[in-house]
Amino acid sequence: MRVTLAMKPAARSFIPIEAESIIPKNLLSGTDISVWRGNRELRLDEVFSVSVEGEADRPEDVEVVISGDGTFRLKRVGEYMDGGKITILGDIGMHCGNFMSGGTIEIHGSADGWLGREMAGGSIICRGDAADYCASGYRGGRKGMTGGTVEVFGRAGVFLAENIAGGVVTVHGDAGDMPGAEMRSGTLIIHGDCGRPAANMKGGSCYVYGTAHGMIPTFRKIGTIQHDGQMLIHFTGDIANRGKGNLFVKDYRYLE
Amino acid sequence: MSELLIRNACVIDPLKGINAETMDIAIRDGKIVEDVSSAAEVIDARGALTLPGGIDSHTHICGTKVNFGRYMSPEDMRAGRTSRCGPMHATSGYSVPTTYGNSYRYSAMGYTTLLEGAMAPLEARHTHEEFLYTPLQDTMANTLFDGNWGIMEAIRDGDTRRVAAIIAWTLQAVKGFGVKLTNPGGTEAWQWGKNVSCIRDPVPYFEVTPAEIITSVVEANEMLDLPHSVHIHANNLGTPGNYTCTLGTLGLIPDLNPKRQTLYATHIQFHAYGGSGWKDFCSKSEPIVRFVNMRPQIVIDMGQVMFGRTTTMTADGPMEFNLYRLHHEKWSNHDVELETGSGIIPVLYRRKNLVNSIMWAIGLELALLTESPWQCLLTTDNPNGAPFVKYPEIIALLMSKKYRDAEFATIHPDTESRVPLPAIERELDWYEIAVMTRAGQAKALGIQDRGKGHLGLGAEADVAIYPIRIDETDPSVDYERVIEAFSRTEYTIKRGRVVSRKGKCLVDGNNATFWVRPEVSDDYDMEKDPDFIEKFDRYYTVRMRNYPVQEEYLNRNRCIETEAEI
Repeated sequence: MRVTLAMKPAARSFIPIEAESIIPKNLLSGTDISVWRGNRELRLDEVFSVSVEGEADRPEDVEVVISGDGTFRLKRVGEYMDGGKITILGDIGMHCGNFMSGGTIEIHGSADGWLGREMAGGSIICRGDAADYCASGYRGGRKGMTGGTVEVFGRAGVFLAENIAGGVVTVHGDAGDMPGAEMRSGTLIIHGDCGRPAANMKGGSCYVYGTAHGMIPTFRKIGTIQHDGQMLIHFTGDIANRGKGNLFVKDYRYLE
Repeated sequence: MSELLIRNACVIDPLKGINAETMDIAIRDGKIVEDVSSAAEVIDARGALTLPGGIDSHTHICGTKVNFGRYMSPEDMRAGRTSRCGPMHATSGYSVPTTYGNSYRYSAMGYTTLLEGAMAPLEARHTHEEFLYTPLQDTMANTLFDGNWGIMEAIRDGDTRRVAAIIAWTLQAVKGFGVKLTNPGGTEAWQWGKNVSCIRDPVPYFEVTPAEIITSVVEANEMLDLPHSVHIHANNLGTPGNYTCTLGTLGLIPDLNPKRQTLYATHIQFHAYGGSGWKDFCSKSEPIVRFVNMRPQIVIDMGQVMFGRTTTMTADGPMEFNLYRLHHEKWSNHDVELETGSGIIPVLYRRKNLVNSIMWAIGLELALLTESPWQCLLTTDNPNGAPFVKYPEIIALLMSKKYRDAEFATIHPDTESRVPLPAIERELDWYEIAVMTRAGQAKALGIQDRGKGHLGLGAEADVAIYPIRIDETDPSVDYERVIEAFSRTEYTIKRGRVVSRKGKCLVDGNNATFWVRPEVSDDYDMEKDPDFIEKFDRYYTVRMRNYPVQEEYLNRNRCIETEAEI
């Protein structure tokens, strides 16, 4: 089953739309669901031109395609999703794929903050950039992402994979400040540069194939290793947190 | 004129000596009266258990410390969310909920009066502002004097009358209710990076010991004729082997007041630990209780720990720092100028943890071994031991050996060799629970004369009707029903108005704040004392004239005036 949601041009386009109801499981039983714009509840067909092709009897067989000009205003798309696929032909708003446990989200544009926050499984592919707190935990939370994969082909903002406790996060461009802060477990791979990686890490592995700026001084250097055909410098820490994590960097610079 | 008649109520009112009598309660204009006209609104209680409104004599619900707990734990705000509903505001938070969250949840459990356990005088305004938004309970605040420079200097000079004078001035200035000592001397020592190990250690610079602080302040408290006794959080909270220090503290106290206790020792569970370290940590509830049973001048409260996540918060800064070193969690510490300090850290009490399991058992032992329920009140030191929403479970544990055994089977297996709990057969009855949750509190706080904690003529019409018939329920077997009943009243009536019905709050409410103004002679009026004024202006960051909390901060102003001896 393929559900196409083409966003209608809305007059008051600056108000975000809370679209946590858009997940394959809900669309399985019809498109009679609603979303919220501000304090107004709207039917799905008031916001989108909806078309459905084919049939399905399990979420895994549902593909949702979201397109249109204002897709960046859609928040919480794919929250608690457990199977199926969501494709976004454009940018997506904050909190896409919150708590998801299965299925795939593919974003052809960029994603706003909190992409895949606290996700437990499934995979997210973002062809553009991801903003701050991608694949992270939430304010004050002790566990961020616990499983699944997130792959970002552009850059990522600050606090990438903060509090990550499982799963794999890959960023092909640069990451902002503090990627992998409070990391507990899981794997974080950054192909570009970043600032202060893996601060206060407890466990897990963090790979930086570019330069780590403002390198945290409480990591102990162990030696060098060959990884994916690259020579990386191996650190362990964060000693300040009695951590036993592994941090591999291509190059690093301490704060002046 | 508003009138209300509650029919067929099965009343337990310990302060009036009423034990499970079926009767009618007449209410006019917020007071209990002899009878009402036929036009009165009628509630048929149908024999349901009816008690005076609940009183929590030690809880942390309002003030800077609680608020800091809120903003350092945003994850706590994700729990316990409720949306707006009728006159109820949206709430959030579990261990440190919003003020409305506290108020609604307490009200649903039948509580109508709350005592904030620790208010730093300098930050009193914040506490009173939050009281304004705790609409369904009358409130009062214990005021911290544990590290007060003026008081410690007066004690060093051996001038107890001056101690009393400083307490009198401060209480009326900050609209406080009682005198609280939190780790006396220890919070001041912490400002020097130290702590006091027990009651005989001198405080740096001031060279007074906690024992001297406690005895002088207790004496001063009686000089001022305050309604409540000194309220103490003893030194050495939470350290293995601290029970000897607790016994030493309790041993300092003479019997000075015929109407009530002379010392209210709070959250004794945290002070009843044996062992020399965490490895041989064990319960010492028995020696503590034996001591309390022999001394009517002491009232304790449980400070029960229940399993789950919560937030610890106290004025005891050094203790919180030690806790941080144990848990390696986020933490905060705060210093309040010339007065006290505070600290906060979130914790998780786990069944699988031996120390936590022993703590859980100690609280119950204290309540079960204390012969008179008037001497051991039910609290969790909310939220330190557990959020107050756990009270119904605690009530059920105290009333049912079967429930205790069932719970005991789920905790750390080594607990059995460290605690006397499994051998205790006692099951409290309804009357004793009523004492431990309202009558005892009213007496200990000295507010029964203000019409609190009982349903006698002229009393404030604070009534809780619980959906349970005590003649049909055997609490030792039907503990599930007991939990359910105490979690949600059928009706909570505050000052003659139904404020909560089956867990839903019906009105916006309007609380009253009780505070104390002791009348002292001109010689002991600190506002005119040149030495006090000079020290104040020299060391505080605020001017003395800006320090007092204006009466505009009180919703319904209930000033208790007392005649001081000085």
